[in-house]
Amino acid sequence: MRSTPSSARSWAPRVVAVAGLLVALGAVLGLVESALLPPLPVPGVRIGIANIAVVFALALLGPRKALAVSVLRVVVVGIAAGTLGGPSLVLALAGALGAWAVMAALSTRGSRFSVVGWSVAGAAAHVVGQLIAASVLTGSPAPLLFAPVSLALALVCGLSVGLAARLLLLRLPLAVNVEVRGS
Amino acid sequence: MTRGDRLVVAGVLALAALAWPATYLAAAGRADVAVVTGPGGTSQIALRPDRTLEIEGARGPLTLRVRDGAVSVLDAPCPDRLCVHQGQVCAAGAALVCVPNGVSVRVGGGSDALDAVIR
Repeated sequence: MRSTPSSARSWAPRVVAVAGLLVALGAVLGLVESALLPPLPVPGVRIGIANIAVVFALALLGPRKALAVSVLRVVVVGIAAGTLGGPSLVLALAGALGAWAVMAALSTRGSRFSVVGWSVAGAAAHVVGQLIAASVLTGSPAPLLFAPVSLALALVCGLSVGLAARLLLLRLPLAVNVEVRGS
Repeated sequence: MTRGDRLVVAGVLALAALAWPATYLAAAGRADVAVVTGPGGTSQIALRPDRTLEIEGARGPLTLRVRDGAVSVLDAPCPDRLCVHQGQVCAAGAALVCVPNGVSVRVGGGSDALDAVIR
């Protein structure tokens, strides 16, 4: 079952609904993560459970809609957390865009990489993007000194999120009329 | 996991492993000074004798504490105070960062040293 690849059909109501659901899911996971889990003593490192929404969007809807889901999720979290316009939003956007770019690149390589690979690469790119943004914001390379610890944590988080995403993609009755990739 | 996935995992591991020695090289191995960068510019502080310092951040003054050759952020006007929770650092290559205030402190290296070498 594949959707018609014409652009007129690409934002079919069902696709819009799923994208909206994923934005909501990602926003809630992101808020829960920042509210409940203690902040790690490393700036820029979130465990990244919210990334599961973007991984899902990539698998179900493709790279372009996943970008929309990712950016909207950051904006919604920014509004809800009251950090819109501050440096936290810049960090979040840098991480989200970095993760999306790398995951989208891997997801277009056919079946060479699965959601687990996307997720691990995305988590690493998320951290690197945030550390680079933090370096620019502070005008100092000091944040980059956190790279080793952050990358190691990102590996663990990326693996967990990727394995969870694969389990869900294989078991959920997916009501989207599109090809599921990366599973 | 596909073969590609394993490559990704190995790549991230390799990156972390390579970045680790790079942070020490970037700090030029000195653990008796720290470089403080803020909105007001960059300055170098000695990690002895013990004292507290005020650094002007983007949102107000940060209080730094220097004790026993280690430096920590005692207090800072930022929402999540991650910089305060980072505790004290003393090893060359270690750093404290407060992004909301645009302030960072890294142990080691003079202001004339390399910015960073990340390969």
